[in-house]
Amino acid sequence: MPIQFEKVSHHYNAGTQFAYVALDEIDLTLKEGKVTAIIGATGSGKTTLVQHLNALLLPTSGKVTVLDRVIDSAEKPKKLKELRKKVGLVFQFPEYQLFEETIEKDICFGPKNFGVSEQEAKKRAHEVIRLVGLDESFLQKSPLDLSGGQKRRVAIAGILAMDPDVLVLDEPTAGLDPQGAQQMMSLFMNLNKKLKKTVLMVTHDMEHVLNYCDEVVVVRDGKIVTHVEVREFFKDTTLLNELHILPPSVIQFREMLNDKGFKLDSSIMDIKTLAKAIAKEVKR
Amino acid sequence: MKSFALGRYVPLDSLIHRMDPRAKIMAMILLLIGIFIPAGFIGYAVIGVLICAGVIIAKLSLDFIWRSMKPMLFMLVFLLIINLLVIKTGTLLATIWVFTIYSGAIMQTLYIVVRLMLMIVITTLLTATTKPLEMTLGIEDLLKPFVRFKVPAHEIAMMISIALRFIPTLIEETERIMRAQQSRGVDLQEGKIKEKIMAVLSLIVPLFISAFQRAEDLANAMEARGYNPGWKRTRYKKLTMQSRDWGLLMVCCLLDVALIGIAVL
Ligand SMILES: Nc1ncnc2c1ncn2[C@@H]1O[C@H](COP(=O)(O)OP(=O)(O)OP(=O)(O)O)[C@@H](O)[C@H]1O
Ligand SMILES: [Mg+2]
Repeated sequence: MPIQFEKVSHHYNAGTQFAYVALDEIDLTLKEGKVTAIIGATGSGKTTLVQHLNALLLPTSGKVTVLDRVIDSAEKPKKLKELRKKVGLVFQFPEYQLFEETIEKDICFGPKNFGVSEQEAKKRAHEVIRLVGLDESFLQKSPLDLSGGQKRRVAIAGILAMDPDVLVLDEPTAGLDPQGAQQMMSLFMNLNKKLKKTVLMVTHDMEHVLNYCDEVVVVRDGKIVTHVEVREFFKDTTLLNELHILPPSVIQFREMLNDKGFKLDSSIMDIKTLAKAIAKEVKR
Repeated sequence: MKSFALGRYVPLDSLIHRMDPRAKIMAMILLLIGIFIPAGFIGYAVIGVLICAGVIIAKLSLDFIWRSMKPMLFMLVFLLIINLLVIKTGTLLATIWVFTIYSGAIMQTLYIVVRLMLMIVITTLLTATTKPLEMTLGIEDLLKPFVRFKVPAHEIAMMISIALRFIPTLIEETERIMRAQQSRGVDLQEGKIKEKIMAVLSLIVPLFISAFQRAEDLANAMEARGYNPGWKRTRYKKLTMQSRDWGLLMVCCLLDVALIGIAVL
């Protein structure tokens, strides 16, 4: 079962003078097992969009289908816990949700809420802490003694420990160092490739979009502008210009060379192929 | 939380909105004193008429006034019931099962209800028409004379304005943390007592941590920009009392005098 939005609108503060239309009749279908990037300017509605996936926000109108659950604006939803177990959502700046005395307890908090036994939860904590690039000695520390980046990792570990089928990440790498960001991205890729988890990611980093994602959804002013494959997306330079998106540096470099008289194919999107193509042109 | 009206500023343009905050604060104090002068229902009628005029001049909607009173309704009902059962003066009006209701109880309760409602409307008139920043400026100025008695007027005003500034931020923060914990399976509606306590803990602890963090950041940012409460500072916005402000104070003073007159006679 895919993830489907049908004519979904979300109004904040509906019915007051502060009413704001954050999503405007969105139609969107996301395939299972893919990595999808959601991009768009600040305030365009990305966070609002992804928080519908585990019913933290409910549609003002329209219908959201996630796996085997249907959230319809017309009826009051029940038993949302089951849905939240299947869809793990890592918040923008999740470090603020840590609260237990030790990191181990904090990671176990989610799984235990969803009925996993104490023992199993601890076992998972030991697994995921290494996955996010911290070693097991951290488990007995207080989450408050960590650096911002380490807190981020612990918070992500807390969601991974719930073992969700769909992983939704709201700017998971904002504020991480470049290496840390890359580490996190490859972790998500592994989860996608090996465990076949559907990954949905809000990001501002076009390099990540190009290198790791399968599809792109562009949101602007609460509407979906386009939803295409990543390579298709970066081929369409006029659209990129129109959306004021600065393409990844490989593509920028290729376009600059083309401006200077090179004839490089617009399907070239990685450094190796680009180097080969340049070499060929130069020799000619 | 969205329809919360009590204490909220309503951005409109009216005579009362433009008045000097100091005059408005003083007027509020005078009116509140007026309520406690025992002038009976005639006195309350006089105050009521004055306040109604204020509400109309301030262009506030009845709906808004009603919503700001709503949070107090529970307390009013509670008071009503307690009073009806406890006070046993006046003539016996009715007996329901083992409870007896006396006329004195009804009068007393009405008194309290009217008083509370008047107080709410008066304070709402102030908060709805005065920007938080103007309010703190006004409070600071009014506290100035007490500085020689070691009242830290500027510090108090600064604290109030910071607190006011952060209320919406904290509400937002609470909502955000609530959602974050909900996606980790916290169930705020259902669940056993033990789970509920855990749920509340999972909200309060992060909220406190982030509030303290924010406070520290703010203090550092202020110090980094050379803030020192002891220094003499000039103000961008100067308050000046105009004739309409003095007029308001005159009306309120006259009202208090009249009420005392009614009470004594
Ligand atoms: N709780 C709220 N109440 C009222 N308006 C809100 C609320 N949350 C968001 N908005 C508004 O909805 C719009 C979309 O917000 P959203 O958080 O979805 O943006 P975003 O695309 O995630 O931005 P960013 O890249 O900065 O995270 C914004 O204009 C914002 O002002
Ligand atoms: Mg966002």
